Formats: sequence, C-alpha cells, structure tokens
Amino acid sequence: MDSNIILGCENLTKRFESTLALHKVTAGVRKGEILGLVGENGAGKSTLVKVLAGELRPDSGSIVFRGKTVRWESSNEALREGIGMVHQRPLLVPEMTGLQNLFLGKEYARRGLLDEVAATEASRRLIEKYPMYPDMDLTKTPKEMSAGEKEILAILRVLSYDPEVLILDEPTASLPRQETATLIEMIKKLNVERGVSIIFISHKLEEAFGLCDRIMVLRNGKYVGDLMREEFKRERVIRLMIEEDISLFYPPKTEEVGPVTLEVTNLRAPGVNNVSLEAHAGEIVGMYGLIGAGMSEVLESVFGLNRITGGSIKLKGEELCLPSVSVMKRKKVYLIPSDRHQLSLFRNFNVMENMTIAHLASLLPETIIDSAKEHKLATNQANKMTVKCSSVSQAISELSGGNQQKLVVARWLMEDVDILMVDDPTVGIDIGAKRDIYLLLRELTRMGKTVILISSEISEILGMSDRIYCMKHGRITGVLTGDQMTQENVLRHIL
Amino acid sequence: MSVATRISAKSRSWFVDFVKDKELFVASILMIFVFSIAGTRFFTLDNIANILRSVSIGGILTLGLSFVMITGDFDLSFGSATGLLVVIEMIMLDQGVNMWLVFLVMIVLGLVWQFINAMLVVKVRMPAFIATIATWNMARGLIFWITKGKTFYGDYPDAFAFVGRENILVFLPTCAIIFAVLAFFAYMLGNHTKFGRHLYAVGGNPEAARYAGIDSDTVRILAFLMSGLAIGVSAIILGSELCCAPAGAGDAFQMQGIAAAYLGATVFKPGSVNIGGSILGSLLLVVIENGLVMMNVPFYYKYLIQGLIIVGAVSFITIKKRNSSIAIQSKI
Ligand SMILES: Nc1ncnc2c1ncn2[C@@H]1O[C@H](COP(=O)(O)OP(=O)(O)OP(=O)(O)O)[C@@H](O)[C@H]1O
Ligand SMILES: [Mg+2]
Repeated sequence: MDSNIILGCENLTKRFESTLALHKVTAGVRKGEILGLVGENGAGKSTLVKVLAGELRPDSGSIVFRGKTVRWESSNEALREGIGMVHQRPLLVPEMTGLQNLFLGKEYARRGLLDEVAATEASRRLIEKYPMYPDMDLTKTPKEMSAGEKEILAILRVLSYDPEVLILDEPTASLPRQETATLIEMIKKLNVERGVSIIFISHKLEEAFGLCDRIMVLRNGKYVGDLMREEFKRERVIRLMIEEDISLFYPPKTEEVGPVTLEVTNLRAPGVNNVSLEAHAGEIVGMYGLIGAGMSEVLESVFGLNRITGGSIKLKGEELCLPSVSVMKRKKVYLIPSDRHQLSLFRNFNVMENMTIAHLASLLPETIIDSAKEHKLATNQANKMTVKCSSVSQAISELSGGNQQKLVVARWLMEDVDILMVDDPTVGIDIGAKRDIYLLLRELTRMGKTVILISSEISEILGMSDRIYCMKHGRITGVLTGDQMTQENVLRHIL
Repeated sequence: MSVATRISAKSRSWFVDFVKDKELFVASILMIFVFSIAGTRFFTLDNIANILRSVSIGGILTLGLSFVMITGDFDLSFGSATGLLVVIEMIMLDQGVNMWLVFLVMIVLGLVWQFINAMLVVKVRMPAFIATIATWNMARGLIFWITKGKTFYGDYPDAFAFVGRENILVFLPTCAIIFAVLAFFAYMLGNHTKFGRHLYAVGGNPEAARYAGIDSDTVRILAFLMSGLAIGVSAIILGSELCCAPAGAGDAFQMQGIAAAYLGATVFKPGSVNIGGSILGSLLLVVIENGLVMMNVPFYYKYLIQGLIIVGAVSFITIKKRNSSIAIQSKI
C-alpha cells in the first residue's frame, strides 16, 4: 500500500444479509489530501466510510491508519484516535440546544456543575478557529435549525476533537448555495492550513471537481478507479460510475401554459407574509430563497398543514375555505416535503408500507387490505422509480440515503396527480435518478399537470422552472420569467 | 441506474422471518418446556382449560392496551377502571336490572372511561403517563367510596355465571371463546386494515403521518376507544367470574397487561408493540404463572416475574435499537 496513505483499507468486504455492500475494496486517503468519493445511490459510499470510522465491522479485510493495521472497537475509539465523521444525516439531539449538542459527551463542568460560560467561550474559540458560520445561534435547538445549520453544527462538533482525518458524508446535499460555498471554502482551509486529510462524499460532481485532489469511484460495492485532478472530466467520472454516457440536461421547457390551476392571494400563515402566487396547468413554477425564507411554509400552508390566518387559496377557480391534507389529497394536490426522515418516512414500516400509506383509501379500498395487490403495486412502483432494495419487504433503515429519498418521491407518484408540490426532491440522489426525476416532472407538465418546485440548488431552479418566485423573509420579492431567469437576477431578489 | 437491480416480487422465506429477532420469545417457550417436565399435571385437559380461562380477561385488556400503545400513548388506568365497572355491575344486578342491559351499560361505561382519557391525552395534550395515573387513582377512589373498602356481595341472576364460570363446549370456557373471537378481530383490524396501518403510522412518526394525510388525533382517540371496549367486556367477564365486587378487583391486570404487551413487542415487529405479539405475550404470561402454581411456587412470585419480564423485554428492545445506529438516527 502507498506509504502516504494515512487512512485506508485493503480487500474490505461487507455484506448485509442479501446485499453485498462492499466487495474487496482497497482504497485510502493520503496525508493532506482531499479525496472525493462518488458513486450511484447504494454504491456503498456510506458503508465504506462507516467501516473506516469504526461504526461498522468489516466481514473481512483490514483497516490501516498511520501505517498500522487497526481494528476499531467503536466509533468513539476511532474519533479519539483522530478520525472524525459527520453522517449523511447529522446525529443531533433534537431537544438540546446547539451548545449542548456541540459538547455532548465532553461537557464543560466546574465542581460537578455544568459550566455554560466556559462552554460558550469554548464554542466561540472553536468557531473562530474554523470560521464557517460566525453568527451561528447556538441557543437554538436542532428542531429550530434549518438543514444547513444542523449540518454545520454537526461538523463543528466533530472538529472540536481536532481530527486528523475528517469524513464528510454528503455534507452539502441539503445546503443552499451560499452555505455550500462557505463550507467548501472552510474545508479547503482546514486542509491547507491545518493539514487535515478529508474524505468528501457528494453527488454534485462540479463541487467535487472544485474541491478534491483525487476522486475515487465506487460502483455496486466495488472500487472501479480513481482520477487525479488533471483527469477530472464529467463524462469520465460518470462513465466509471454507471457505465453509461449521461449528461445531466434539463428537459426543454413548456412553450405554452394552460389555465390557472392554483391561485394564492395574500396568504398569511406562520412564516408566510402576504404571499400571492399563481400556477398554471403545464407549468413548473420554481420557488427560491435562502434557508428559512418561507418557501416550504407557503407549500405547507397550501397543503393544509399550517393554520392560515389570512388570504385565500383557489383551486381551478374554486375557493377553498379550509384547506386540509385530506381535502387536498382528494383534489389530487400532493406535497413531497423536504426532510425525509422527519416528515416522510416511517421507520417501523417496510418499503411497501411506506409507499402505500398515503394511498390506502384510494388504491386499496377493500376492508381487508389485499396484500398480494399491495405487494404488486409497491414492487412495480419501486422498479419504475428504481428504488434499490432487496424486496419491498425490506426495512427502510437498510436502504441507502439516496434510495430512501427516491422512495419518498415514489410514494407520491403512485397515483394520478393534478398539482404536485415538491420541496427539494433531489437531495442526495445520483445523476441518473436526478435525470429521471427531471424527466418525470416535465412529463407531468406535458400532461397538463402543475408542478411547484422548491430547490436548494439554484441551477436546478433555473434549469427546471418556467417561472420563478423569489422569496425573502416570508415575502415574495420578485417573479422572473423567460430571459429574466438568470442567476444574478435571482440572487438580487433573495439577498 | 442501469445497474440498479430489479427486485422480484418474492419476499424472504417465512422461516427466516420467524426465527429472526425472537430471542426473548424463544426463551419463554423454553420455560414452558421446563414447566411441562417439572409439573406433571401441566399438560392435562383440566389445566389447559384453566389456562384458557385465566388468559381471557388479561388478554382482552392487553389487546385494548396494545391499540393505545401502538399509537405511542400509554394507559395505567384500565385495571382499576375494570374494577370500578365490576362494582357498578354487581350493584346494578343486585338492584334487579336486566342482565343484558347491565352488559350494555358496561360497554358504554368502558367507552366513556377511555374517551375521558383520550380527551386528556389527545386534546388537552397531557402526557399519557400523568393523565392515566390520575384517572387510575380516581377509579380507585371511586371504588372505595362506593364499597367503603369492603367486598360487595349482592344478588344476581343464575344465568350470569355463564360468561365467566361455565364452559360452552365440554371443556372450552365461554370467556376463552370470547377472547379468541376478540383476538381474531383485533388481529385483523391491526394488521390487515387501513385503520390498523394508520395506528402504526401515527405511532411510528406522527409528523410524517400528518403529511401523509392521516388525522392522528382521531386515530389516537379511536385507539383509546378500542381499549374502552376491552374494559367493558373484561368487566362483564370478571364480575361473572367473581360474582362479587372486591375493592381491588382488576388491579392485577394492569401490570400483567403491560408485561404482556412488552413481551409481545419482541416478536413479529420487533421493537414495537403489536397485536399478534400481545396475544402470544398474554398467553405466555399466563402459562408461566400457571406453571409456577403447578410447581407450588407461592403466588406473589408472579409480581416478581412480571417485573422481570418488563425489565427484560424493554432492555432487550432498547439494546437492539441502540445496536443499529440507523434506528437512532431516524429518531431525530
Ligand atoms: N444496515 C443495512 N442493512 C442492509 N442493507 C444495508 C444496510 N446499510 C446499507 N445497506 C445496503 O448496502 C448498499 C450500500 O449502501 P450505502 O448506504 O453504503 O450506499 P451509498 O453509496 O451511501 O448510497 P447513497 O448515495 O444513496 O447514500 C445499499 O444497497 C443498501 O441498501
Ligand atoms: Mg450514503
């Protein structure tokens, strides 16, 4: 093995019952290097780094750290030795404040009592040392934080151990542009100034190209090659990833839109301030703004989840007095929410039950649920949406992150839809699946349906939308159409 | 995407599914074997009828509790509520009220009782633990107020004993049949209907249930009402079995129900209370108790055993969950 490798593995194999997640993988990150790790959903990226960081035991093969073969007893041991990992989904205690989460397990105390002052001081030093989010409010709990803030908090927590190797599993998946840029800067700085070696997992290739020194590709649990900086080419990486040429294009936009299907006038609700918008048949309406600017809240209020304090909502010209989820579902208006774990997935349900839960009354109306029919419906949908699972009876906790997301999208596309509201549907999804979702949304508009799209990726919003509503502080600050839809214009309205 | 494997419509073999995740349950079954060797009278027709008789009341109450626990709530009051209903039942019969009317009143009162709990927990949003500790004590207070702490003896029609004391077939107790029928319906309702699916959804992730268009409040209230029905039926059987109303009637079923539900949570859907598990859990618990009696172990050991089972089952589930990091992740 390369003597420069600081953390690596040889012939690593890991099997989960029916799935071979890693097959004889030999790989490693060199000292002072930023290594990108890419591959399709379910390729084994998370599994690989979990094994390296002591969270999973390999079935065979060895882990090498600082030139010595090691056998981690626990992830804590690996962390103490200098391997810090931030999960694909940050592990935070939702009820504790940011500060308490930050020093969880190594609290500052004086004479047996918790010392908040010392902790606050330490957090300030930490944030100064790794300047990433200077005005982070650590008195908030993760429940009150946006996805971006939670990610940053989780990274800070690991940084408080001053790791030698930092593993980041899709840290930017749900971050909007500004925070992504800051985070990337910070990772670079960590690497250059402090010599921290970094393993960086992402589905966003451009980002990886800009940041990494080397990119390693996994496919179906196998190592298929790595590319050095000079070889970074989209097509080459994608070809390694999926053995297929694919370019992430945005399908052509709608030429002519139909009548208004959704009309929101002066809507007031928690986090929503006098919002008016309309959407037409055959149109994709994009909504963009900074984290917490109120896009999700608008869709949630329209879907009947939040209490509306003023304004009106009209569906196809018909005013709704009191929108509720069941009424909306009956009118074929669906919302795919953003945070799949909190708002979509039932971890006590298998893949099938997670899919059909929103459609029991309509698709399985029999008093006794027809289990053969349910199984068939779910299997078809899983295949159609390429949700990778061993069978639809598999527990969802065993699915890779991206496949859980695909499952959520698949759930809401089981039935006919008239107005589909989607909140960041491509978080953590690989290129192939992303393309499929884009095509699917366009297919819907071609059939005269309406799509409302929120995304944390500005290129996705620009590429997909026929019209863009820009938002700031719960208000609409601009509507852009046609040639006006440029990055500068959007940023001008949201900042 | 081209490499994404297509999944076949075949699920895993039932045998693998059955043996997986059932350590604690297998241990209990082993215990039964020990009993049948140790106590020679264990596998007699009489004793089996005896077991079936003893399982019915606790079993029915456990079914009711399971509905409540599946949605993520809890109930500490059903035992003493049953006792309170028995007191009312015996007094009404003594007053000469028609037996069938009394039965109807029992069902209605059971429903009313759990409706009150449901309002406190679901609408007022009191923690279920606190709310039902309070109502549990209120039930006890009412019992002592009515009976002055003494067992109430009164008149009752001869036909009354049929439910709790007699057999429908040669050796099958009536109450065992009632339990079997209710268990069947509860199982179908819980595992094969929309309502059942909604129960598990609300218990699994209430937020996600809301986003999927499930009215969690209604589902939780209905779960409590299921338990109310169970309380009503149990009170009818218990009254008939005792033919009097001791001040502490029903109390013993509280812990038994909780223990059985947690024991059942180690099978079928490991980690969460489920109807199938509760039925088996109730049976096992009674079998263990009966085995101890056969071995001449004093009756008060049963409390020790129930406590141990709760501790064992719950730590087993907790450790299982802790070992899969993903389970912890999704708690957030
Ligand atoms: N605990 C588990 N039990 C069973 N199978 C598992 C488990 N964890 C992962 N898998 C399977 O192993 C494979 C690799 O999963 P992994 O999470 O490593 O993928 P990934 O490359 O991180 O994908 P993504 O980009 O979607 O996050 C997947 O097929 C997944 O279903
Ligand atoms: Mg992953």
